Amino acid sequence: MNTNIETFKYDNRIVRAFAIATIVWGLVGFSAGLLIACQLFWPELNLNLQFTTFGRLRPLHTNAVIFAFVGNGMFMGIYYSLQRLCKARMFSDKLSWLNFWGWQAIIISAAVTLPLGLTSSKEYAELEWPIDIAIAVIWVAFSINLFGTILKRREKHLYVAIWFYIATAVTVAMLHIVNSLEMPAGLFKSYSIYAGVQDALVQWWYGHNAVAFFLTTPYLGLMYYFLPKAAERPVFSYRLSIIHFWALLFIYIWAGPHHLLYTALPDWAQSLGMVFSLMLIAPSWGGMLNGLLTLRGAWNKLREEPMLKFMVVAVTAYGMATLEGPMLAIKSVNSLSHYTDWTIAHVHTGALGWNGFLTFSVLYWLFPRLYNTRLYSVKLANWHFWLGLLGMMFYVIPMYWSGITQGLMWKQFTNEGFMQYPNFLETVLQLIPMYKLRAIGGTFYILGACLMTYNLYKTAKSGVFVPEVEVQAPSLKSQPEHPEEKHPWGHRWIESKPMVMTAFALVAVAIGGLVEIIPMWIIKENIPTIASVKPYSPLEVLGRDIYIREGCVGCHSQMIRPFRSETERYGEYSKAGEFVFDHPFLWGSKRTGPDLHRIGGKYPDAWHFNHMDDPRLTSPGSIMPRYPWLLTQKLETSSLPARIGALRKVGVPYPAGFEATAQKELETQQKKVVENLKVGAITNAPADREIIALVAYLQRLGTDIKVKPAAPAAPGAPPPPPPKTARTDSTTPARN
Amino acid sequence: MIKNALTDIGGIGIYGVISICLFFAVFTGALFLTLRMKKSFADKMSSLPLDDGDNTDKGVPHE
Repeated sequence: MNTNIETFKYDNRIVRAFAIATIVWGLVGFSAGLLIACQLFWPELNLNLQFTTFGRLRPLHTNAVIFAFVGNGMFMGIYYSLQRLCKARMFSDKLSWLNFWGWQAIIISAAVTLPLGLTSSKEYAELEWPIDIAIAVIWVAFSINLFGTILKRREKHLYVAIWFYIATAVTVAMLHIVNSLEMPAGLFKSYSIYAGVQDALVQWWYGHNAVAFFLTTPYLGLMYYFLPKAAERPVFSYRLSIIHFWALLFIYIWAGPHHLLYTALPDWAQSLGMVFSLMLIAPSWGGMLNGLLTLRGAWNKLREEPMLKFMVVAVTAYGMATLEGPMLAIKSVNSLSHYTDWTIAHVHTGALGWNGFLTFSVLYWLFPRLYNTRLYSVKLANWHFWLGLLGMMFYVIPMYWSGITQGLMWKQFTNEGFMQYPNFLETVLQLIPMYKLRAIGGTFYILGACLMTYNLYKTAKSGVFVPEVEVQAPSLKSQPEHPEEKHPWGHRWIESKPMVMTAFALVAVAIGGLVEIIPMWIIKENIPTIASVKPYSPLEVLGRDIYIREGCVGCHSQMIRPFRSETERYGEYSKAGEFVFDHPFLWGSKRTGPDLHRIGGKYPDAWHFNHMDDPRLTSPGSIMPRYPWLLTQKLETSSLPARIGALRKVGVPYPAGFEATAQKELETQQKKVVENLKVGAITNAPADREIIALVAYLQRLGTDIKVKPAAPAAPGAPPPPPPKTARTDSTTPARN
Repeated sequence: MIKNALTDIGGIGIYGVISICLFFAVFTGALFLTLRMKKSFADKMSSLPLDDGDNTDKGVPHE
């Protein structure tokens, strides 16, 4: 008998916990999506509550689906496959459960804070700073558990799935920390340390790579593990998987700027993002083909095994989304697609198809095994498959139609050279039927997920849970070293050295980020300064914070691209130098409503007042929710000194002691807005309501560059008085 | 118009060149390592998920 044989147990309890959480949060996330989808053709569906508006629930939906549904699904798959691929129990049961409960606590805190309007407004990174810290801590716990398990493994070589898990662990940590650097201004408020263009670049470096390293790499790992398991075939080409891994890892990180094409981001960064996005097709399709070809000779299994059907659609959706992504990154295509529902269609091909179907696939595979029984009903699983597929079609196709329709309408000029559709709302009303069809698609998808939940529940009831699986394997030390493992000239060497693998992976992902971001930091001329651009006044700061709280950025961009179709509609295109005091940037990524960068001075104050009370008063047919609470809620000014102080720390040049006079300046500007409202026949508006601050902010937007610079002073002449803007008699200090 | 909107920095062209060179190096490096790999090892690694000592994961066949 070989004395080096060790007996140990795989932990199934943690896998089951994550599996149940995946299902529960999946249903929550999908339902939140359906609710906000319906609000787009039925605005009253927020029940006139501030906690349920589109602006506040949209981040709840995205966070629930990405971090709660896919996050738990990722942990479920990793905790199952890692133990078996390493032939070892998880490094620490305590860390496993800290990972589980910590992650659920983070999700619950997100579900509470986002409807309350506590948000940083940065997409997929909306959670405020205390939760950001908690995410970092739990992620470290997961990483220690991951690397600890790898180090105590009994299988010498790390299978390709584990490389993807390693890449996920290190890259998500890097992305989360760099993008979440923010200055607290109270327990639930912070300002990004970056401003304007820099903030946009860092955010989309993060946002793009959150898709890459949270939604893609861990799920590719799951594909490489569960697809061969279900097909009972080895992966098609192990060599291809190596190329897939390194090329994907290296290229993905560079492509972030494709989210910012034709914006005020410097041209070189945009071009870099576009080229690397196109190159990304190669590794993505390499991975997709590797997955699909694993089924060669086993396609007949699709008839018997429902999980394989889901897997095949998931991998195909991955292929479609990763071809479409690079196409959308071509600047001319992007000029049409950006800010429209085309992007929504694209991300849902990935979310519903790739992440959703792959998660369902793994759940159908795991439950019978965790409970040592057979699936309760293959028929129900097939129903789920077709409902889900139909739901996806009903979602994605109307959104393509909607996106292209609106994109073309925005750009349409008459023969005489005027805008064919000068009223933005006209282009929105065209899309309402598409929004209704989309909601039908979402309903189908959720119905399918409900069938799965019932099916898996009945499966669990029909079997007996297997909490641990006892197995035997020889210890790592007892396994002889192959000559090739001693020399660092083969991939075999890398695969047997997890820390080397980790270091290489980190270097691969760090290079792209550094090349893009460092020039932004160090080279001043990247962001030409504009002398007339000044910091926001105290009232505007608070108004901007209300704009952030209400999630206005979810539907309104603040970035006019340099196209005639945009400058005709909105005004002068946006300049990088206009955003130097924007902590965080609020460029947005979707125009459900019009761009607001030049909204300042376009309408009287009273128009904004009435519009926020009921958008349909000023814009009949508008799908924007009402914001009546802004007219009644008192503006909270006690935190103003803390907010001014935090903004100064991140670089806004408020002079020392400005906090002492800020309140007085705020009140002066409030009175001015109230006077302006009287001109518009609104005579009873109290000065201390939130709406006053929001109006002040909106009226400031995009007006700084319209201020005429003072003529150069003659030698010996007295210094000119500080420029006054139309917006305010503010004593806001000049920028240094 | 676009030229006026977007700014450039001196010698930034080098970033594109560096990027392509780096990618080429990584890609050919990975290709080289892959081609050197013995078929027997690649076969062993590709079937690793099928050999995890866990008999419960064979599952109970559907009816």
